[in-house]
Amino acid sequence: MDALLSIRDLEKRIDEFHLGPLDLTIEPGTITALIGNNGSGKSTLLKMIMNLVQPGMGNIKVNNILVHSDNENWKPYVAYQPQTIIGWDPFTGEMLKDLIAPLYPNWDESLFLRMVELFEIPLNKKFSKLSQGVQQKLNLTLTLPRNAPLLILDEPTSFMDIPSKKLLIDLLVDWMEPGDRSIIIASHQIDDIKKLSDYLFVLHNGEVLGHFEKEALMENYARYWLSDSVSEESIPGVVSREEHVLISNNPKETESYFEQMNTKWTNRSSLEMEDIITLLLTKNKGQ
Amino acid sequence: MELPIRISKDSREPIYHQIVNQFKALIAGGHLSAGTPLPSIRALSKDLEISIITTRRAYQDLEVQGFIRTLQGKGTFVADIAESLKQEVKVTSVHNILENAVETALSYDYNLSQVKEIFLNILQDKEKGDK
Repeated sequence: MDALLSIRDLEKRIDEFHLGPLDLTIEPGTITALIGNNGSGKSTLLKMIMNLVQPGMGNIKVNNILVHSDNENWKPYVAYQPQTIIGWDPFTGEMLKDLIAPLYPNWDESLFLRMVELFEIPLNKKFSKLSQGVQQKLNLTLTLPRNAPLLILDEPTSFMDIPSKKLLIDLLVDWMEPGDRSIIIASHQIDDIKKLSDYLFVLHNGEVLGHFEKEALMENYARYWLSDSVSEESIPGVVSREEHVLISNNPKETESYFEQMNTKWTNRSSLEMEDIITLLLTKNKGQ
Repeated sequence: MELPIRISKDSREPIYHQIVNQFKALIAGGHLSAGTPLPSIRALSKDLEISIITTRRAYQDLEVQGFIRTLQGKGTFVADIAESLKQEVKVTSVHNILENAVETALSYDYNLSQVKEIFLNILQDKEKGDK
């Protein structure tokens, strides 16, 4: 199957900030979590995919159609939920639905009604009168039923309560069932990353730190408890050490070094996803 | 459907392998009978907090070995497996667990005759318990 999204040699400079160079391919049937520190360029990247920000260099194709061109035929293939929406304040949910639904030929009215009920959204209230959490719910309810093959969500649940976040995860899992759809989700919610994502695309201050398959990333890290203290010299793979506890991002090399030096460890464990992301996003500090 | 499958991320055994073995045990032990619908790859991936790449690999392995079958457009189901295969899975799983126990004992520097003694003690306790 062809990629739903393909990004090549993308770069963007905004004042002091530089994003890229960046390559990314999204295959049908996959969920990619877009991870990064605040200001890492996640939203800028998503806006470039939607032709809301012009790239400095490189190109973006949605369903094999160049986004930054006169041809707008790529638009029906993407549904995008931005972090903040401008211009919806005077309208009610009902009015917004009547504006949006006709634009999408695959609009799923029954999914829309199901989400309204599940999230208990008052469709007769003005958008400006809704709490931030309910605004996000309404926004999702107006985005998911578009049934575009590529769904792009920019921090969709940051204001939502815990049960609603869980509900959304289940809705997205259901939405993926046909097998030919994809999601890119920028999120700081660890549950989104653990329960939804297949891949993690990690940005740090505009620089791509990697595009990882989830289990492959988990296997890259291990924590060791040593029986004796080790000398101060650097150990291959070790990214953090506190007395007898070492963390390695290359367990193979670290273990072969231990073997060579006849160093024994009493315990080895995997890291939590939170810890791995923290290591990834802080290790570049001060460089 | 939530399945009693628990994966350990600390284990040396690859995750897809853990899933395959636990499915086999559930099927051979009769907890999942022939024809039972299984969760989709995406739904199981969510429950186990792993990627669909790993889950798909486990399902493919199980299908090749004849434990499950996928019907286009209908989903994945537990296959009807021969009694001999069920027995084989049971014997293998007991064998593996005992082997692990022996490995653990050896890593604590017990010798084989001490391991044997522990094992016989356990059997004796079981016999007493049954009376």
